[in-house]
Amino acid sequence: MKQLLAILLTLSAAITAAAGDTDSTLLRPVHAAYTVEAGSAHLADTYLTPLRYSGWSASLRYSRMQATRFNPRDWVLRMDFAADVSRTLNPVRNATMWYWGLDFTAALMRRVWHRGRFSAMVGPDIDLTLGALYSPRNGNNPVAAKAAVTVGVAGQMSYAARIGRIPVTLLWQPALPVTGVFFSPDYGQLYYEIYLGERSGLARAAWWGNHFRLDNLIAADIRLGGTSLRIGYRLDYLSQSASHITSRTITHAAVIGITGEWLSVNPRRASADPRIISPL
Amino acid sequence: MKTPTAIIRLAAAIVTLTAVSCHELPDYDNSNTGSFEALWTEFDNHYCFFREKGIDWQEVHDRYAPQVNDKLGRQSFFRVMEAMLDELRDGHVNLSAPFATSYYREWWSDYPQNFDARIIRQYYFNFNYSSLGEVEYGLLRQNIGYIRWHSFAQNLGHGNIDYILAAFVMSPALIIDIRDNSGGDLTYADNFASHFVTSTRTAGYICHKTGPGHDEFSEPYPIEIKPVTAGHWTWTKPVILLTNRSTFSAANYFTALMKSLPQVTQVGATTGGGAGMPYSLELPNGWGVRFSACPIYDTEMNCTEFGIEPDPRHAVDLDPADALQGRDTILDFAISMIENNECK
Repeated sequence: MKQLLAILLTLSAAITAAAGDTDSTLLRPVHAAYTVEAGSAHLADTYLTPLRYSGWSASLRYSRMQATRFNPRDWVLRMDFAADVSRTLNPVRNATMWYWGLDFTAALMRRVWHRGRFSAMVGPDIDLTLGALYSPRNGNNPVAAKAAVTVGVAGQMSYAARIGRIPVTLLWQPALPVTGVFFSPDYGQLYYEIYLGERSGLARAAWWGNHFRLDNLIAADIRLGGTSLRIGYRLDYLSQSASHITSRTITHAAVIGITGEWLSVNPRRASADPRIISPL
Repeated sequence: MKTPTAIIRLAAAIVTLTAVSCHELPDYDNSNTGSFEALWTEFDNHYCFFREKGIDWQEVHDRYAPQVNDKLGRQSFFRVMEAMLDELRDGHVNLSAPFATSYYREWWSDYPQNFDARIIRQYYFNFNYSSLGEVEYGLLRQNIGYIRWHSFAQNLGHGNIDYILAAFVMSPALIIDIRDNSGGDLTYADNFASHFVTSTRTAGYICHKTGPGHDEFSEPYPIEIKPVTAGHWTWTKPVILLTNRSTFSAANYFTALMKSLPQVTQVGATTGGGAGMPYSLELPNGWGVRFSACPIYDTEMNCTEFGIEPDPRHAVDLDPADALQGRDTILDFAISMIENNECK
């Protein structure tokens, strides 16, 4: 467990350091995407119920990509922030299960391929997820908390296409956690015991055998002037098993939002740069 | 490797990984037999008192399974499931359907009730008592404080409890009546009990299942109770705790906890038990189930699922003849103990 934490901290420090190196001669715009995602959710958690629930899911997501200060032609830092909610019903539709969650991902990706209109990036990522499944019909076990810190592999493939005269960028962004830590109570452990202080064994080392997640975004950014319209599809799949408790979350969502490239201007430096005229 | 080939291989690898990393989920069908098997299996995996009660759950399955078929009407199916769950002899076991909730009653119905609130309200207080949430309290004619806590489903703040205890500052002893208290939240019981301890002490132990086997349990974890913070009232004078068979669940836990204190004497009848913290699940047909999942033990690691007996010298039943005359035999016994300095 300590080794895992050391790996996580090292990766986190590397990502921070990567963002901190300086090369001030280049402009590094931020490619930002603000999206709304909506679709179906399929939830199961044997801590709460042996049944599988289905319903809708919705998310708000902010994603930003920027070339790093060090070696900006080769490295890109991508960060994603998401807030998710799902409401699902059991098969006979007489009970509800909710999921609320927050997700943060930072990925440091290297351009491994750039030929013509096609480019590919891959690199390590760190992901932090906090959430809870809530089953109102349960008495002493209404909630299954979800928390995980994982490191893994993130990638992006893009292809610059055209539809008629409109530029369109086709994207595939997969992310695959490899290891980390995640939270799980013991088989029949009530949160009352955790409240009392029985916290041994709640943090589990994650690997594909007990914690498999795959986040897949396929999108098209349709350029409309300086801003693009993003439409796409996201599959977020999580299957987890610990202490004979199996949990599965699958969401299929349509994605719509706007993307664009913006330059962040430091007000102190901007005043010295005659090219910049502030509206303020 | 050409780019399209690489993409296809990568996608294939991801699809394969997703498929092989899919952890198994239970798969019950939404029929009577599917729901029966789900009920039996989930209890087999999670119920915590098979050993203490000497129940052969497989034998129970084999006896009831032939009574279930998919043509059985809902009500008839419910009755079969209810009968099977009654084999567990557990007041924390319920099956909830849209038309009924099953409930094992014999843990109290086979015993005298030993309590009538009206007798105390009318003949001991002439209806002049105070009410606060789930609590009724007042000063008995003999200058003895009396607190009746109906249910631990609702909490009282420490400030509220201070007011109640302050009303009895001149009393030599206190009677706490938890007869017919069918439980509620353990933390509310702890909250009240914290006014009767002067140092942190172990109130009991709790375990949970670590796997589906009938003997797979965690190590007992102590439930500690801390004294109420400085500035609040702590009662260190004698306390008599009145119990009956309907003192159940969190009230049963409260009895075990209080009985371990040096100034507390249990008087009345054996409590109803209910020493397993309930857990909820559901069945494929949408019905809910609740059952004991986490056993709670007293400070001596005794299982209190079958109730807590008072010392034989303090075991008292309510005499119906007394009741007809407006007397509560158990309460009178407690008053007499205090007046004769026979309590701890």
